[in-house]
Amino acid sequence: MKEMKEIMMAAIFDAFERMFYVFLEPVGDGCSVYDVGASIKFSGVLKGELKIFASEGLAKSMVQNLLGVEGKDVKEQDIEDCIKEAANIICGNFLGRFDQTKVFDLTMPSFLRLPSETMKERDVCRLYFDSDGERFCAVLTLSD
Amino acid sequence: MSFNVLIVDDSSSMRSVIKKVVALSGFKMDQCYEAGNGKQALELLSKVWVDIILTDLNMPEMNGLEMLAALKGDSLLKEIPVIIISTEASDERRKAALEMGAKHFIKKPFSPEYVKKVLYEVIGVGDEGTYEGNERDNDGGDF
Repeated sequence: MKEMKEIMMAAIFDAFERMFYVFLEPVGDGCSVYDVGASIKFSGVLKGELKIFASEGLAKSMVQNLLGVEGKDVKEQDIEDCIKEAANIICGNFLGRFDQTKVFDLTMPSFLRLPSETMKERDVCRLYFDSDGERFCAVLTLSD
Repeated sequence: MSFNVLIVDDSSSMRSVIKKVVALSGFKMDQCYEAGNGKQALELLSKVWVDIILTDLNMPEMNGLEMLAALKGDSLLKEIPVIIISTEASDERRKAALEMGAKHFIKKPFSPEYVKKVLYEVIGVGDEGTYEGNERDNDGGDF
Protein backbone atom coordinates (compact mmCIF):
# COMPACT_ATOMS: atom_id res chain seq x y z
CA MET A 1 0.00 0.00 0.00
CA LYS A 2 2.86 2.32 0.79
CA GLU A 3 4.24 1.74 -2.68
CA MET A 4 0.86 2.60 -4.25
CA LYS A 5 0.81 5.87 -2.33
CA GLU A 6 4.32 6.73 -3.44
CA ILE A 7 3.51 5.97 -7.07
CA MET A 8 0.31 8.03 -6.91
CA MET A 9 2.15 10.90 -5.24
CA ALA A 10 4.79 10.91 -8.01
CA ALA A 11 2.09 10.78 -10.72
CA ILE A 12 0.26 13.75 -9.16
CA PHE A 13 3.40 15.85 -8.78
CA ASP A 14 4.45 15.11 -12.35
CA ALA A 15 1.07 16.10 -13.80
CA PHE A 16 0.72 19.27 -11.75
CA GLU A 17 4.25 20.53 -12.21
CA ARG A 18 4.54 19.80 -15.92
CA MET A 19 1.01 20.38 -17.17
CA PHE A 20 -0.67 22.77 -14.74
CA TYR A 21 2.38 24.57 -13.30
CA VAL A 22 0.97 24.29 -9.79
CA PHE A 23 3.11 23.16 -6.88
CA LEU A 24 1.31 21.05 -4.33
CA GLU A 25 2.35 20.43 -0.77
CA PRO A 26 1.25 17.14 0.81
CA VAL A 27 -0.70 17.57 4.03
CA GLY A 28 -1.71 14.89 6.51
CA ASP A 29 -5.41 15.53 6.49
CA GLY A 30 -7.91 17.51 4.49
CA CYS A 31 -11.46 18.68 4.45
CA SER A 32 -14.33 16.58 3.17
CA VAL A 33 -15.99 19.14 0.91
CA TYR A 34 -14.61 20.33 -2.41
CA ASP A 35 -16.01 22.46 -5.22
CA VAL A 36 -15.23 20.27 -8.22
CA GLY A 37 -13.93 16.81 -8.96
CA ALA A 38 -13.57 14.12 -11.58
CA SER A 39 -13.73 10.38 -11.63
CA ILE A 40 -12.09 7.89 -13.98
CA LYS A 41 -12.22 4.10 -13.90
CA PHE A 42 -9.53 1.76 -15.13
CA SER A 43 -9.24 -1.95 -15.78
CA GLY A 44 -6.45 -4.40 -16.52
CA VAL A 45 -4.21 -6.25 -14.09
CA LEU A 46 -5.31 -3.53 -11.69
CA LYS A 47 -8.95 -2.49 -11.65
CA GLY A 48 -10.45 0.44 -9.84
CA GLU A 49 -11.30 4.11 -9.81
CA LEU A 50 -9.45 7.35 -9.26
CA LYS A 51 -11.32 10.36 -7.96
CA ILE A 52 -9.78 13.77 -7.66
CA PHE A 53 -11.21 16.77 -5.84
CA ALA A 54 -10.23 20.42 -5.89
CA SER A 55 -11.26 23.75 -4.45
CA GLU A 56 -12.55 26.25 -7.00
CA GLY A 57 -9.50 28.49 -6.59
CA LEU A 58 -7.13 25.67 -7.41
CA ALA A 59 -9.24 24.54 -10.38
CA LYS A 60 -9.19 28.10 -11.73
CA SER A 61 -5.42 28.31 -11.32
CA MET A 62 -5.06 25.03 -13.21
CA VAL A 63 -7.14 26.40 -16.10
CA GLN A 64 -5.28 29.72 -16.13
CA ASN A 65 -1.91 28.00 -16.26
CA LEU A 66 -2.95 25.32 -18.72
CA LEU A 67 -4.61 27.66 -21.20
CA GLY A 68 -2.67 30.83 -20.45
CA VAL A 69 -5.78 32.90 -19.75
CA GLU A 70 -6.68 35.51 -17.12
CA GLY A 71 -8.85 34.52 -14.15
CA LYS A 72 -11.80 36.56 -15.44
CA ASP A 73 -11.71 34.63 -18.69
CA VAL A 74 -12.01 31.19 -17.08
CA LYS A 75 -15.31 29.57 -18.03
CA GLU A 76 -17.21 26.81 -16.27
CA GLN A 77 -16.65 24.53 -19.24
CA ASP A 78 -12.90 25.14 -19.02
CA ILE A 79 -12.90 24.07 -15.37
CA GLU A 80 -14.86 20.92 -16.18
CA ASP A 81 -12.56 20.08 -19.10
CA CYS A 82 -9.43 20.78 -17.10
CA ILE A 83 -10.35 18.75 -14.03
CA LYS A 84 -11.39 15.80 -16.22
CA GLU A 85 -8.10 16.02 -18.13
CA ALA A 86 -6.21 16.15 -14.85
CA ALA A 87 -7.89 12.90 -13.75
CA ASN A 88 -7.01 11.34 -17.11
CA ILE A 89 -3.37 12.41 -16.96
CA ILE A 90 -2.85 11.45 -13.32
CA CYS A 91 -4.51 8.06 -13.82
CA GLY A 92 -2.52 7.27 -16.97
CA ASN A 93 0.68 8.43 -15.31
CA PHE A 94 -0.04 6.33 -12.21
CA LEU A 95 -0.78 3.17 -14.22
CA GLY A 96 2.32 3.64 -16.39
CA ARG A 97 4.45 3.94 -13.28
CA PHE A 98 2.71 0.94 -11.70
CA ASP A 99 3.48 -1.33 -14.66
CA GLN A 100 4.63 0.06 -18.01
CA THR A 101 4.45 -3.38 -19.64
CA LYS A 102 0.73 -3.92 -19.00
CA VAL A 103 -2.19 -2.49 -20.95
CA PHE A 104 -4.92 -0.70 -19.01
CA ASP A 105 -8.25 0.53 -20.33
CA LEU A 106 -9.48 3.87 -19.05
CA THR A 107 -13.06 5.11 -19.15
CA MET A 108 -13.94 8.63 -20.17
CA PRO A 109 -13.53 10.86 -17.11
CA SER A 110 -16.73 12.21 -15.58
CA PHE A 111 -17.11 15.59 -13.91
CA LEU A 112 -18.28 15.92 -10.30
CA ARG A 113 -19.75 19.22 -9.06
CA LEU A 114 -19.75 19.87 -5.32
CA PRO A 115 -18.46 16.36 -4.67
CA SER A 116 -18.55 15.02 -1.17
CA GLU A 117 -15.45 13.03 -0.44
CA THR A 118 -16.78 9.88 1.20
CA MET A 119 -14.87 7.08 2.85
CA LYS A 120 -14.97 3.72 1.10
CA GLU A 121 -13.98 0.31 2.38
CA ARG A 122 -11.60 -0.43 -0.46
CA ASP A 123 -9.74 2.88 -0.52
CA VAL A 124 -6.12 2.10 -1.24
CA CYS A 125 -4.82 5.57 -0.88
CA ARG A 126 -6.13 8.97 -0.03
CA LEU A 127 -3.81 11.91 -0.50
CA TYR A 128 -4.36 15.50 0.56
CA PHE A 129 -2.52 18.54 -0.76
CA ASP A 130 -2.38 22.27 -0.19
CA SER A 131 -1.36 24.96 -2.64
CA ASP A 132 -1.34 28.50 -1.21
CA GLY A 133 -4.43 27.73 0.84
CA GLU A 134 -6.23 25.94 -2.00
CA ARG A 135 -7.04 22.26 -1.62
CA PHE A 136 -6.63 19.09 -3.66
CA CYS A 137 -7.37 15.46 -2.84
CA ALA A 138 -6.94 12.17 -4.69
CA VAL A 139 -8.64 8.92 -3.73
CA LEU A 140 -7.70 5.60 -5.31
CA THR A 141 -10.10 2.70 -4.92
CA LEU A 142 -9.42 -0.82 -6.14
CA SER A 143 -12.06 -3.40 -6.99
CA ASP A 144 -11.99 -7.12 -7.81
CA MET B 1 7.07 25.99 -45.89
CA SER B 2 4.15 25.78 -43.45
CA PHE B 3 1.79 22.95 -42.63
CA ASN B 4 -1.87 22.28 -41.97
CA VAL B 5 -2.36 20.51 -38.65
CA LEU B 6 -5.36 18.55 -37.31
CA ILE B 7 -5.68 18.13 -33.54
CA VAL B 8 -8.10 15.43 -32.37
CA ASP B 9 -9.02 15.34 -28.70
CA ASP B 10 -12.36 15.26 -26.87
CA SER B 11 -11.09 17.87 -24.41
CA SER B 12 -11.33 21.37 -25.85
CA SER B 13 -8.81 22.50 -23.21
CA MET B 14 -6.32 19.89 -24.34
CA ARG B 15 -6.86 20.85 -27.99
CA SER B 16 -6.08 24.46 -27.03
CA VAL B 17 -3.00 23.37 -25.12
CA ILE B 18 -1.66 21.25 -27.97
CA LYS B 19 -2.36 24.06 -30.45
CA LYS B 20 -0.51 26.49 -28.19
CA VAL B 21 2.38 24.08 -27.69
CA VAL B 22 2.71 23.53 -31.43
CA ALA B 23 2.67 27.31 -32.02
CA LEU B 24 5.16 28.00 -29.20
CA SER B 25 7.45 25.25 -30.46
CA GLY B 26 8.13 27.30 -33.57
CA PHE B 27 6.65 24.69 -35.89
CA LYS B 28 5.49 26.46 -39.03
CA MET B 29 1.73 26.02 -38.88
CA ASP B 30 -0.64 27.34 -41.52
CA GLN B 31 -4.17 26.13 -40.72
CA CYS B 32 -4.98 24.37 -37.46
CA TYR B 33 -8.14 22.27 -37.52
CA GLU B 34 -9.74 20.65 -34.49
CA ALA B 35 -12.01 17.64 -33.97
CA GLY B 36 -13.54 16.19 -30.81
CA ASN B 37 -13.21 12.54 -31.79
CA GLY B 38 -12.16 10.25 -34.64
CA LYS B 39 -15.52 10.43 -36.39
CA GLN B 40 -15.48 14.22 -36.50
CA ALA B 41 -11.90 14.10 -37.73
CA LEU B 42 -12.78 11.81 -40.64
CA GLU B 43 -15.71 14.07 -41.58
CA LEU B 44 -13.37 17.06 -41.56
CA LEU B 45 -10.79 15.21 -43.65
CA SER B 46 -13.39 14.68 -46.38
CA LYS B 47 -13.39 18.47 -46.83
CA VAL B 48 -9.87 19.69 -46.06
CA TRP B 49 -6.31 18.44 -46.47
CA VAL B 50 -3.91 18.33 -43.55
CA ASP B 51 -0.20 17.54 -43.46
CA ILE B 52 -0.13 15.99 -40.01
CA ILE B 53 -2.57 14.70 -37.38
CA LEU B 54 -2.05 14.79 -33.62
CA THR B 55 -4.58 12.63 -31.84
CA ASP B 56 -5.58 11.41 -28.41
CA LEU B 57 -6.51 7.75 -27.94
CA ASN B 58 -9.30 7.74 -25.39
CA MET B 59 -12.24 9.53 -27.03
CA PRO B 60 -16.00 8.91 -27.32
CA GLU B 61 -17.71 7.65 -30.49
CA MET B 62 -14.48 6.81 -32.32
CA ASN B 63 -11.19 6.49 -30.45
CA GLY B 64 -7.74 7.25 -31.79
CA LEU B 65 -6.85 3.70 -32.81
CA GLU B 66 -10.18 3.25 -34.64
CA MET B 67 -9.55 6.50 -36.49
CA LEU B 68 -6.01 5.40 -37.32
CA ALA B 69 -7.35 2.12 -38.77
CA ALA B 70 -9.88 4.06 -40.87
CA LEU B 71 -7.16 6.40 -42.16
CA LYS B 72 -4.89 3.51 -43.12
CA GLY B 73 -7.78 1.91 -45.01
CA ASP B 74 -8.26 5.00 -47.15
CA SER B 75 -6.08 5.22 -50.25
CA LEU B 76 -5.78 9.02 -50.00
CA LEU B 77 -5.68 9.62 -46.26
CA LYS B 78 -3.31 6.78 -45.40
CA GLU B 79 -0.31 8.94 -46.28
CA ILE B 80 -1.05 11.57 -43.63
CA PRO B 81 1.37 11.10 -40.72
CA VAL B 82 -0.33 10.53 -37.37
CA ILE B 83 1.18 11.28 -33.96
CA ILE B 84 -0.52 9.86 -30.89
CA ILE B 85 -0.58 12.08 -27.79
CA SER B 86 -1.95 10.12 -24.87
CA THR B 87 -1.70 9.26 -21.21
CA GLU B 88 -2.20 5.59 -22.12
CA ALA B 89 1.39 4.83 -23.04
CA SER B 90 2.06 1.24 -22.04
CA ASP B 91 4.72 -0.55 -24.08
CA GLU B 92 2.08 -2.76 -25.69
CA ARG B 93 -0.30 0.10 -26.56
CA ARG B 94 2.57 2.11 -28.01
CA LYS B 95 3.77 -0.86 -30.06
CA ALA B 96 0.24 -1.52 -31.34
CA ALA B 97 -0.19 2.10 -32.42
CA LEU B 98 3.15 2.17 -34.23
CA GLU B 99 2.41 -1.16 -35.94
CA MET B 100 -0.92 0.25 -37.09
CA GLY B 101 0.96 3.07 -38.78
CA ALA B 102 1.29 5.87 -36.23
CA LYS B 103 4.55 7.73 -36.73
CA HIS B 104 5.19 8.56 -33.11
CA PHE B 105 3.77 8.30 -29.63
CA ILE B 106 4.01 11.24 -27.22
CA LYS B 107 3.10 10.64 -23.63
CA LYS B 108 1.29 13.31 -21.60
CA PRO B 109 2.56 15.39 -19.91
CA PHE B 110 4.87 16.71 -22.62
CA SER B 111 7.14 19.68 -23.30
CA PRO B 112 6.90 22.07 -26.28
CA GLU B 113 10.52 21.29 -27.23
CA TYR B 114 9.82 17.60 -27.49
CA VAL B 115 6.64 18.14 -29.51
CA LYS B 116 8.57 20.35 -31.94
CA LYS B 117 11.32 17.73 -32.32
CA VAL B 118 8.79 15.02 -33.04
CA LEU B 119 6.80 17.17 -35.48
CA TYR B 120 9.86 17.99 -37.58
CA GLU B 121 11.14 14.43 -37.47
CA VAL B 122 7.83 13.01 -38.55
CA ILE B 123 7.16 15.49 -41.30
CA GLY B 124 10.76 15.27 -42.49
CA VAL B 125 11.84 18.91 -42.44
CA GLY B 126 14.31 20.88 -40.38
CA ASP B 127 13.72 23.96 -38.24
CA GLU B 128 14.03 26.23 -41.27
CA GLY B 129 11.47 24.26 -43.23
CA THR B 130 14.02 22.57 -45.48
CA TYR B 131 13.43 18.97 -46.45
CA GLU B 132 15.67 16.57 -44.58
CA GLY B 133 14.19 13.21 -45.41
CA ASN B 134 11.80 11.30 -43.23
CA GLU B 135 13.75 9.24 -40.77
CA ARG B 136 11.63 7.74 -38.09
CA ASP B 137 12.45 7.61 -34.43
CA ASN B 138 10.34 5.01 -32.76
CA ASP B 139 11.70 5.33 -29.27
CA GLY B 140 8.35 6.58 -28.06
CA GLY B 141 10.07 9.52 -26.50
CA ASP B 142 8.44 9.93 -23.16
CA PHE B 143 10.15 11.66 -20.30
